[in-house]
Formats: sequence, structure tokens, C-alpha cells
Amino acid sequence: MSQPIVQFLDVTKRFGDFVAVKNLNLDIYPGEFVAIMGPSGCGKTTTLRMLAGLEVPSDGDIFLDGEIMNEVSPHERDTPLVWQSLALFPFLNVRENVEFGLKMRGIQADERCLRAAKWLERMEIKAFSERNVDSLSGGQRQRVALARALVIEPKILLLDEPLSALDAHLVIRMQQVLTRLQRELGITFVYVTHSQSEAFAMADRVVIMGDGEIAQVGRPRDIYREPGNRFVAEFVGRNNIVTGKIESVAQNTAAISTSMGVFTVTVTEDQRIQVGIDATFVIAADLVRLTNTKPEADNVIACSLISEEFVGSVVTLFLESVDGHEFKVQLQERYLAEIDLKSDGSLFLSWPSASAHLLPV
Amino acid sequence: MSKSHEWQRLCGGKAFEVAWRIPLIAWQAVFFIGPLLFMIIISFFLVKNYRMIEAFEFVNWFKMLQRATFWDSFGYTLLLASLSTVLVSIIAFPASYGLAFRVSSEGRRWAIFLLIVPFFTSYLVRIFSWYVVLAEAGPLNAVFGFIGLGPYTMLNTAFGSVVGYMTLTLPLVIILQTISLSNIDRRCIEAAYNLGCGVVRVILEVIVPMARTGLIVAALFCFILSFGDFVSPYYLGGSKPPTLPILIIDTTKSGQQWPRAAVIAVMMMLTLFSIAFSAIWYAYRKRVAS
Repeated sequence: MSQPIVQFLDVTKRFGDFVAVKNLNLDIYPGEFVAIMGPSGCGKTTTLRMLAGLEVPSDGDIFLDGEIMNEVSPHERDTPLVWQSLALFPFLNVRENVEFGLKMRGIQADERCLRAAKWLERMEIKAFSERNVDSLSGGQRQRVALARALVIEPKILLLDEPLSALDAHLVIRMQQVLTRLQRELGITFVYVTHSQSEAFAMADRVVIMGDGEIAQVGRPRDIYREPGNRFVAEFVGRNNIVTGKIESVAQNTAAISTSMGVFTVTVTEDQRIQVGIDATFVIAADLVRLTNTKPEADNVIACSLISEEFVGSVVTLFLESVDGHEFKVQLQERYLAEIDLKSDGSLFLSWPSASAHLLPV
Repeated sequence: MSKSHEWQRLCGGKAFEVAWRIPLIAWQAVFFIGPLLFMIIISFFLVKNYRMIEAFEFVNWFKMLQRATFWDSFGYTLLLASLSTVLVSIIAFPASYGLAFRVSSEGRRWAIFLLIVPFFTSYLVRIFSWYVVLAEAGPLNAVFGFIGLGPYTMLNTAFGSVVGYMTLTLPLVIILQTISLSNIDRRCIEAAYNLGCGVVRVILEVIVPMARTGLIVAALFCFILSFGDFVSPYYLGGSKPPTLPILIIDTTKSGQQWPRAAVIAVMMMLTLFSIAFSAIWYAYRKRVAS
């Protein structure tokens, strides 16, 4: 693999007594679309701001393109950031906003104008060049912010929850714009978000942070199917989490006894498992079968329907087992007619052993 | 039934709104528009045997506006007030910048409190204390003498007047500038750094334009207070040459020339109106959207 463009080495950031980022180690490679995701206050924005030089790490080193960045002030780096609030300059018009970075780099007015025009055109906002930024719509302002950052032709673009202020339909549209832009330019995008759908939709690699530390790094699919720990399994949502004790291990299957009975989970060879230890496994909500008759299978739980959530083609059902454990089932809306949804404990959940994922001990 | 309904409609609607505006309108009418009209009318009166006679003659206007002393005084007042405005704005800015960006919010609160404290004492008292400090044998010249300089004549000079103007306006200008700088969106400043803007350029190209309205309003206050001030140019400036407020006093004293003094006052009002209007227009000017 090529040399990483960004390297965090044991980076810690403290604000007084509060530790925002703890011993962060992360490599980002050229041309990658990396999403840093986590709940509020997990340190994801601080990580991004350290990369831009807006915060100085308390400990550890940050390398950008092989050079140590700790002492480099923000205006001497080529790490443009797109803000959540966009932070467009209200006293400049659209074109002047886009030209700002070029002006600061001492580029002549006529060349500035030419390069800005190219980006205004590419972002489809050329018609508004001479307009005031506050006369534009949210989506248009978003494009101005992107053009302003990209016009300086950086190797890396930082984005801090840029879509969180937009309407839902615009978010989808801008996701496509961003993904296409990143492919075409071939530069590195580091995208901070709290939204799983944004991160999974766009990123090549997702970094999940919790409490200032990295909880898991991986491709979206891997994180979704094989969460590395309970925090990730819960954060990724739409997961059913069951805890118990390992009862027996035979070949590549472990039997786990829980308050709801014994369930089997397929395990890999490199998972070190001992009989008697506590274990947690996860079944994604879309891998669970729901039937009205008890199936002849290994992992079956009798449930009642609590509520349902309808989002177009997919329906999420919230169910409760006899002893009060909550389960989520996600299925295609068109299959809903085949099931008689009852609240009297006569629904049956089942899943093959291979669909369950045992969290690393 | 319909009557009570009507009453409710009035209470919640137009009448209610108008009722709240009446005090302000009445105040402005009685204490500003009224006296202003009265002053304008007086400027057309005549004075015979030290007594004013109601008339409508332009003689006072011709007399005053043809006098070189009036225009000298007008130019000098304009110059001093402008100088004071520029100096105060420049001296206040680093202090305001420090308070807005480099000091904790608690420190900022204390600083603003301390900047209000000078207003506890009458302006006249503060000017008299300068009278002592700036005197030929005063403490300031003693300090200069100690390091082998001076003594300098500071009283009865333009310098004295400007020191007085600053005493009046500097705390106010720092407070106004600090508030307007504090309200700047910090992310815009960070965005400027992020796009390659150095510290000095950030101040000139981002902070000043973003705080433009507040900075201009602060400067306007400084100009208005300095232009109309009588105390500083009289006690510290020695009234030579006289500023317009001093000229007003002199004119009323010499032969009861209230109408001619009114001419000066009206000219001052016109000057302040035009400067205030253009400053406010410039401060709130929006870029024209094409």
C-alpha cells in the first residue's frame, strides 16, 4: 500500500480536565473517502480540527504528506474544511467567496477569476456569481462552500457534518454530488458525521469513535455485519444484541445459553473461545425471519408485536420476547401481508447460526 | 356582544401597537422636533436694542455664513472631531480586539464594567482633573522633566481638546467595538485561517468587514459627542480658535445675538444629520444583488 497522506500517532487532545481525544492512531491513504462517525462529544470534530490545525494536539504527532504538522499554523496548510454552518463570508459575494483562498495565496485577479469560474460552473452555481451569499438556498450555499474549498486544488478535503442542516431530499442529492466529486478528483475526503446513513452511503472506510477513542475502523459492510464490540453494535442500530454464557463449542459452532434459551452461533477459528465465559452476539434486524408457526430450527424465540415503523419499502417491527427482551425485525414491506401480526406471543423469530455474529471477547 | 368583540380586536390589534409607540413619539416631538423647529424659526428673528423681534429675515444667515470666523471655526471643529474619531477608533481597536478574542468571557465582563465606571463621575470633573495633570507645572511635565524632556505646553492647545474628547468617548467606543467584535461568527474567522489567511490579513479582510456596522456606529458616536462638546475645547483647548459650541456661547453673549447663535446651531445640526445619515447608510449598506 502507498504512503499514508494523513497519520495520527498517539494523538491526545485535552481541554482542561476533559480529554476529547485519547491516544488516537489512524492512517488515511491518498484517494480514500474516510468517514469519522460517532455520537456527539466523541471527539470526531476535534480530530478533524487538529488535522486542519485549528486545534493543537496535547500529545502525539500528526503527519500530513509525510511532514509533521504539530507546529504548522492553520493558514500554512492546504487542508480546506467545509463547515457545518458553511461559514461563508457574508460581506463577499459568491464569486469573491470562492476566490478568497486564491487571493490569500497571492494569485493574480484575472487568473483567480478564471479558476473560480471553472468551479462555479462545475458546482452549477455560475448564475449566482455576483449574488449575495445570504440570498441563496441551503443547497446552493453548500455548493459555494465546496467550490471555495476545492478551488485551491487541495490533496485533501475536510468536511464537518456539511449536510446536517439540509432537507432530507437535498442530503441524498448532495451525497451523490460529493461521492462523484471525490471519484473524479481522486483526492482524499475526511468526512465527519453522526449519521450512519451518510457515512455508509459515501465512505470507503468508516472510523467509529466513542468517548475520544476509536471503537472500530473498517469498510461499511464489515462494520455493519461484524461489529467489533458492543458500542459499535449499539451505535450502528437495527441490531439485536443478546448476552449469555458459552455452554459448549463444537467445530465452528458455539452454543450460548441465555435467559431465553440456548442459541448457536457460527464462529471463526481465530476467535478464542472458552466454555463458561460471558459472550455477546449480534443479529442484524434484516437477517431475522418472522413466522406465525414455530419453525423447525435451532434459534427460535416466541414474541409479541409492540410497534412498527414504516419507511417506504422497508418496515421495522419492534417485538418483545416472553421475558421482556426487545427485538427488531426489518423486512420488505411487500412481505408484510404474508404474516399475521399478533400481540399474543404467537410470532416466532428465527435465524440461522451463520447470521449471528459473536462479538470479540 | 359585537361591542366587546370590537374592543378585543382593538386591544389585540392596531390600537394596542399605536399605544405603545405614543410615548416615544411624544418625547421626540416635545424635546427634539419642537425645539429644533423653534431654533429654526428664531434664526430668522431680528435683534434690536438687545431685544429679539419676531420677523422672517435672512439677514442672520447672510451675516453668519459670510463671516470667515464662522467657517474657520466650522473647519476647525470638523477637523478636531474627525481627528478625535480616527484616533479614538484606532486606539480603541486593539483593546476591543483583545477583549473580544483574547480574554475569557468573565474577563470581558469585568473589563466592560470597568469601562462603565468612568461615567460614574461627571465629565466636567474628569476634565478638571486633566487640567491639573496637563498643567505646565503638573505631574506629567514633572515626569518628562525627570527624563530630561519638556516642559511641554499641553493645556490650551488642540492636543488638550483631543485629550478631553478621548476622555469622553474612548470608554464608550471600546465598549461598542468590543460588543460588535464579540458578535462575529468565530467560524468565519477560522474559515479564513483555513483558507490561508494570516493573522494580520484576517483582521483587515475578515474581522473589520464583519464588524463594519458596529465599528462605524462606534465612530459615529465619537464624532457626534466630540463635534458638539463644549467642555473640552473650552477648558483644555483654551477656546482658541473657538469650536462651534464655543462660538454659540460667544455669539449669545455679544449683544444677545440669539438668532445668529441659532444659525450656528442649525448648521451644526445639518452637519451632524448629513454625517450620521451617510455613516448609517454606509454601515448598513448591502451589496447590490444582480
